Amino acid sequence: MPKQLEQPALRPGAAVLAWILPGLGHIAIGQHRRGLMMMFGILFLFVFGVLIGGVDVVDMKRDRLWFLAQGCNGPIAFLVDYLNQTLLKTAAPATQARLTSLGNINATGTLFIALGGLMNFILILDALGGPDRGSDHPGRRSTDP
Amino acid sequence: MTMLGWIPFLEPMNWLQSLWYVLLVPLAFGIAASYKAMRVVDMRNYWRQVGLMTGQIVVVITALAVGLILFVKLLLPLA
Repeated sequence: MPKQLEQPALRPGAAVLAWILPGLGHIAIGQHRRGLMMMFGILFLFVFGVLIGGVDVVDMKRDRLWFLAQGCNGPIAFLVDYLNQTLLKTAAPATQARLTSLGNINATGTLFIALGGLMNFILILDALGGPDRGSDHPGRRSTDP
Repeated sequence: MTMLGWIPFLEPMNWLQSLWYVLLVPLAFGIAASYKAMRVVDMRNYWRQVGLMTGQIVVVITALAVGLILFVKLLLPLA
């Protein structure tokens, strides 16, 4: 008879924390090192995306579909969108031309942040219903890397 | 000289336009760093696993790109 897998209790609080700041949900449930590494990975993608494309790469109004993924990064995505709408979109045309990312750079910066958001969505689900595991030696499948 | 007037995070790196494909490396690293933080069993292996996955992503995407270039440049003209 196959062994029944234990279903861990859902942790909605940890999921909310994971959205507010990537990795915070795992830190809250005691997986400190894992949470810090998650925070590093997601924020690396986010910061690098904004570094490449400027605040122009997060745009809730013009790139609505991309923002569905980018919004999973948490409030920082909404903050960058706010900066985009207030600093860039209302600036003089010459300033807008200087601060607007073009072509591949705009696409790549947008992609960095969208992929970071999608990765954080997975981490939010893991914080919500993932297995209970210690930060260094978690109890996952023996075939896992 | 144009770099001196660059404001990070506000102004885009439009001067990287012709080298955009190099950005695959940090993209692969960021994905590997966040994915392996969840998947790796023993956190002592974390950085090794991140390096391995980064390499795998870069090699596979580069191979796909080379394959596509060969297909478009060599095979399609024959058709």
